[in-house]
Amino acid sequence: MCDAVTRVMFGAIYAAEGSSSEVLLASAQEFSPRVDRVSDPREIVLDLSGLTRLFGDARTIAEELRRTAADRGVQIRVAIAGTRTAARLMVRHRAGITIIEPGTEAAALAPLPLALLGELAGDVNSQLPKSVGNWELGVVFKSWGLRTLGELAALPSDDLAARLGQDGVRWQRLARGEDATPLVPSVPEERFEQALDLEWPIEELEPLAFVLGRLLEPLEAHLERRGRGAAVLHVRLFLVKSAGETRDVHERSLQLPTPIRDARTLRTLALLDLESHPPTGPIDRVVVAVDPTPARIVQFSLITRPLPSPEQLSTLMARLQALMGETRCGSPALVDAWTPGAFEMTTFTPVDTNAIHSHETRSSVDMTVALRRFRHPVPARVRLTDGKPSRVTIDRRGMDGGGVRVCAGPWRTSGQWWRKSESDGWDRDEWDVTLTDGATYRLFRARDTEQWFVDGVLD
Amino acid sequence: MANHALAAVESALRDRKLDRTLTTALAPLERVDPSALVPMDVAPLDACLRGGLPRGHLSELVGARSSGRMTLLLQMMAAATSRGEIVAFVDTLDRLDVASAAAAGVDLSRLLWVRGQDISGRAGPFGPASPTERAIDRALKALNLVLQAGGFGVVAIDLADVPPVAIRQIPFNTWMRVQRVIEGSDTACVLLASEPLARSAGGLTVTLAGRATWVGTSDRSRRLSGIDVRARVVSPRKRIDGDAKVGIVVTEVTDRDLPIARAR
Repeated sequence: MCDAVTRVMFGAIYAAEGSSSEVLLASAQEFSPRVDRVSDPREIVLDLSGLTRLFGDARTIAEELRRTAADRGVQIRVAIAGTRTAARLMVRHRAGITIIEPGTEAAALAPLPLALLGELAGDVNSQLPKSVGNWELGVVFKSWGLRTLGELAALPSDDLAARLGQDGVRWQRLARGEDATPLVPSVPEERFEQALDLEWPIEELEPLAFVLGRLLEPLEAHLERRGRGAAVLHVRLFLVKSAGETRDVHERSLQLPTPIRDARTLRTLALLDLESHPPTGPIDRVVVAVDPTPARIVQFSLITRPLPSPEQLSTLMARLQALMGETRCGSPALVDAWTPGAFEMTTFTPVDTNAIHSHETRSSVDMTVALRRFRHPVPARVRLTDGKPSRVTIDRRGMDGGGVRVCAGPWRTSGQWWRKSESDGWDRDEWDVTLTDGATYRLFRARDTEQWFVDGVLD
Repeated sequence: MANHALAAVESALRDRKLDRTLTTALAPLERVDPSALVPMDVAPLDACLRGGLPRGHLSELVGARSSGRMTLLLQMMAAATSRGEIVAFVDTLDRLDVASAAAAGVDLSRLLWVRGQDISGRAGPFGPASPTERAIDRALKALNLVLQAGGFGVVAIDLADVPPVAIRQIPFNTWMRVQRVIEGSDTACVLLASEPLARSAGGLTVTLAGRATWVGTSDRSRRLSGIDVRARVVSPRKRIDGDAKVGIVVTEVTDRDLPIARAR
């Protein structure tokens, strides 16, 4: 009795041509959650182990399967065996219900034609490794005069391996009805989405924060149960429909730098984004969805100084971008160009290094004078004596200018003059000047306009 | 009686967590824990600072233009990033030259740069809601956000080019609030300014004066060779005061060679 309950049992169902694969899947899932969708949409393999207590013996289960499918309008064949391979081969060969007693798979499959194995070839979900995913050896078997699975199964394995390698042995095991790998159930695509219809439309972000919190907390629990994090956060706000108009949907998608599932962080990020891109009307339905991705695994170190968590960094960057502007926060990066002051902004995503915190001073470091650059060069009036600047006047608050104590130059640079836009190109003579107040400036004269500018301060 | 009054004052200060201003509550003079300091990575200056600027406090690098304050700050950030720390620079008026930062050795991927608006090219009086005031307000808010996030080794704010009249409009308790945010953290907050502003009880003020040095006697061969910086460290109650002299050289990040012949 105990043996009957715990016996490993697999079933394969094969539907008539033109049947809906979704209906077939639904029928199979009524019996077992462990269902494998193979490449052929007409076929499904399911794990029936332990179902005898619920339904009775294998034949009863097979009859119930056929009846359930028939109720949904699908005619199916059913084969039940101790291995998936045996069930799959048999269901393709014989109509109706076929039951193979466990341990007799090889004998039951022996009279079946060898060409059946070819039907399993190329099935990505089958137990066949990629190297034998095609039926090239079928030609060899045919030339040897093999016609049935039993004839292939009866060959000496050592000799088969010597002639065809491990691929030949794998085909032989399949011919005997043996499974090479365990069943991997097909997991239906899971949606991580929460929605809420509001009784009264909301117009401001503050009440929306509570709604988002209520939606994101179960979403966080769902992600945690599945070991997932959010890669992209989608917020869809359905706006109240005016008379005679179609309903507008305000949709925002946030790409998260790392998988995050903390509800408070996600809510803050969503709210900060909505502050920058507010909806145009009252909201009466809120939908929050995330694109799941495997959760982050963190290994902390006792040696290195910890970096802020990605949640903290994401929130910080969102707040800074809301305050300063989206393009004004991040990490600078040099660009391969001669343009003075050229750089680009990149996302600030520091990686944890294994650099051990050291308190030693770098001994042989030459400091280089830094330039404080005016992003918009400041116009100046320069008096020349013998072709050299002798006095600089700057009409800006806090920049008085003065007499030139020492100067060097000019260094001529030009570039990008072939561009159509004048702002892209430059053609100028640069000077370094120290004024009487002790400050050292970098000046330049634009050669096309003869105008002088302060480029920066050497500091 | 006097002792009772003193004890009452000290007790009241401790209740309000202001006991750092008490002489008796100050940390020992010998600062032996190197992990509590951020070295400037400049040997004479670090020797003068007895290891570096303190973490968890607001320190200042102050000086006039061309006094070497930006160079020293970038040097400090380069040292911090080379140790694997991350640093932040709140650039009130968008003055950072990225090539200079890279030349100083700052690992740019570990630098968070918060760029304000460059308003130097715009004329206009200072007043309520002026561009300068808005820029300072945003920069201070950004500084607060970065400090509250935590995890940064060095966080600097640049107020060096802000007009003095605008600086004077900043409420003094701003710096007390900053000090309270970073108290006990591993972050060294550095204020870059033209004159001392914060006067923190636990931080240090490094006053800088620079003099440009030139090489070459003729017009054609003359070029800027560096800046001689004289640093003076001022600390609360003159505990770590001292002077240091630092030389900074010019290393061109462009392909400058000799100047071209001048047209006369």
